[in-house]
Amino acid sequence: MPESQIELIAHLARRAGFGATREELEEYGKIGYEGTVDKLLETSSPQWMSEYLIRRYHPDESSMLAGLSGLEAWLYRMITTDAPLLEKMTLFWHGIFATGYPKVLNAKPLSDQIRMFKKYAMGDFRDLLVEMARDPAMIIWLDNQQNHKDSINENFGRELLELFSMGVGNYTEDDVKECARAFTGWTIGNCEYMELRSARDSDWPYGRISWHYEFDAQDHDDGEKEFLGRKGNFNGEDIVEIICEQEATARFIARHIYHFFVADEPPVPQWPYQPPRDPEAINQIVQAYFDSNYDIKSVMKFVFNSDFFKSEDCWYEKVKSPAELVTGVMRLTESVDRPQYEHSSRQLRMQYMGQTLSNPPSVEGWDGGTTWIDTGALVERMNFASEELGKLETPGSKELFSKIAFEGNGEVEADRIIDICLKHLGTINVKDDTRSKLVDYASENGVIRVIDQEIDDLGKEKIAGVVKLIASTPEFQRA
Amino acid sequence: MATKGLEQGQFLRYVRTVGMTTMRGRGFYYPIDSAMSNDGGRLYVLSRSFERAVSDSMRVTMLNEDGEYFGVFGSAGIGDGQFRWPCGIAVNDQNRVFVTDEYLNRVSVFNESGEFLKHWGSEGEMEGMLNGPSGIVFDRDNNVLIADSRNHRIQKFTSDGEFVKSFGEYGSGDGCLNLPWGLGVNQEGEIFVADWGNDRIQRFTPNGEFVAKYGSSGREEGEFTRPAGVIVNQEGYIYVADWGNERVQVLSPDGEFVQKIRGQATNSEWAEDFLGVNVEEAGARKRANLEPDIEYFNDDPHEESSHIEKLFWGPVSLMLDAEDRLFITETNRHRIQVFERDN
Repeated sequence: MPESQIELIAHLARRAGFGATREELEEYGKIGYEGTVDKLLETSSPQWMSEYLIRRYHPDESSMLAGLSGLEAWLYRMITTDAPLLEKMTLFWHGIFATGYPKVLNAKPLSDQIRMFKKYAMGDFRDLLVEMARDPAMIIWLDNQQNHKDSINENFGRELLELFSMGVGNYTEDDVKECARAFTGWTIGNCEYMELRSARDSDWPYGRISWHYEFDAQDHDDGEKEFLGRKGNFNGEDIVEIICEQEATARFIARHIYHFFVADEPPVPQWPYQPPRDPEAINQIVQAYFDSNYDIKSVMKFVFNSDFFKSEDCWYEKVKSPAELVTGVMRLTESVDRPQYEHSSRQLRMQYMGQTLSNPPSVEGWDGGTTWIDTGALVERMNFASEELGKLETPGSKELFSKIAFEGNGEVEADRIIDICLKHLGTINVKDDTRSKLVDYASENGVIRVIDQEIDDLGKEKIAGVVKLIASTPEFQRA
Repeated sequence: MATKGLEQGQFLRYVRTVGMTTMRGRGFYYPIDSAMSNDGGRLYVLSRSFERAVSDSMRVTMLNEDGEYFGVFGSAGIGDGQFRWPCGIAVNDQNRVFVTDEYLNRVSVFNESGEFLKHWGSEGEMEGMLNGPSGIVFDRDNNVLIADSRNHRIQKFTSDGEFVKSFGEYGSGDGCLNLPWGLGVNQEGEIFVADWGNDRIQRFTPNGEFVAKYGSSGREEGEFTRPAGVIVNQEGYIYVADWGNERVQVLSPDGEFVQKIRGQATNSEWAEDFLGVNVEEAGARKRANLEPDIEYFNDDPHEESSHIEKLFWGPVSLMLDAEDRLFITETNRHRIQVFERDN
């Protein structure tokens, strides 16, 4: 397969996953680009590391007393998955339906929400919206347990329209109220007790209790409603059906997909005032949404096979989120072969970079794009990637040393070292200027010699130095 | 879907619950194993805690069967008397308390009051070295048996930590092991191993020769999912902490299924103390339906146990007192449920 095809598949792997090792890319290459898209869309056997194994060594990731436990469990999933697109889609929906620990104060329902996203991530968008509306963490997050027949609370109804489906400017205040009426009675079981425990952050006497959805028919307003020009005795499912029929919904979701998978757009609040970067691409995604009857998997297949996605104009046009960066780095090291004590510190590093999953800065989630980069965050990102990828004893590093040793006995040219390292780290295309600086560094760093198909410790340190430098390049920090 | 409720009758019946969740002091925080002093007067409950928790949440809590509290010892760290991934606890005939640490690959020894005495063990694959020591028990000769989990073997040491012998290797054949966890010893000195990764219990002679295996993967009676603990009573009945199935199973001395229990915890004395001073929470708890009839996300009993508080959640370790009462330590519910023979 031509190197250009491998490079295109590498672009796909960075966007539809967390990047890929050279070996994985060459495997993908055997089935071609479109075959790789189909393989990534296949999600039947996503995990080799079992739930049992994680629960055994990390009991807190089993019952989740602590706020970050679900995030740590999810990080294992992202690092060890064989279905990276499923995890990326889950991240995508988590960013839109952003729900946070500080108000929910029970990590298990938050983790259950992520599990729900995973189940519905690539299905019918209507199912996802209905399940999201029934999700206990979301109900508490947006106060729908306080949305009563005789006293509505508009919070969930408003966000459903504004942030989760249509975007501002596409509905009226009356629509918000009618929407809220339709979701009255959608609450959680044992609401009084669970809400009180949550408010007090109480895990007594026997730890957290999972939450469950409950429909309170007595508290549901089943009267006639007028919503987006339609009249009927609508309930929540009817509202979702009407929402999904709207072109505004298709456009809103299309722009989110473009923003997350194709190229960074401005933050969501600017969307009503700033046109899309590629309006024609948005039109095409909208069409795919309706053509597939709101089937997200079909939409994603269309996007990944589209010319606008494959275009080199959008390669490296996205700044990796901290979750993507940490996951991608750890996957490259190939060092997470079992539950590890050190795992906890990785999610802390992600926090230092500015992202704590299940703890978004607001209901609008994370802005993404260049907002991930500030002075402190950039240093943290470069340090993390360099430290992890620069470790000499990881399987990933050993593989790299073998590849260089395979060049044969004698001195290995600096140019060649850079080539091998860039391929090893996921087939990264760096700009000429970046490449020139990398070569200069490798040259100045001293000669690397292969003797008896081995590289000595000093040589390995020099190679690790090159890897650390590549991990700091803009191209590595982007996707 | 897993069944809910009380499948008990002919062998064990519920007595009471001991303990509750606390990050420090009186209480447990992810208890992972328990042991009892020789006279039965003192229980030692080992709290695993987790990496980010406060240091003194990782501890051994001392109490008696009635819930009388005697204090704690140990904390998180790598110094003397500290732990990182504490996993197993056992008491020898001199009432010395031994704690395995599956991260630090060592065994820490304390006196009966919790004063640190020494630690031994080093990481490796050679005989006498450890890689993930988890379950621990003393045999009839006061030697200590350790499930050397990631070496997939059982190792025997003297109480002073001198290597005696090892048996088992990675695999699924007779006598082979896959991440073994809990250990038990019967009256004849035979060794029972919770062969976690192989979903079975294996029985060995005191010298480590394979005798029998019980169970296979599954959720039916007599089947196991990642069994974590095993203990044998004086009559030879085998109790198994069927961890992945969130239940305890009783097998006859020859391994036939006798009973399975899912747990029926009630408020412990410590829980009552908490609710007694937090009346608003106690009132809301009383009005709540703690056994709701709901549709679960999946058929893993872990899910059911996360919703129904009285059921076992993470039943990991088993302990018997002189009166044949069974103490079942539950990691995820931070408590011990006590059962007795239903004569």
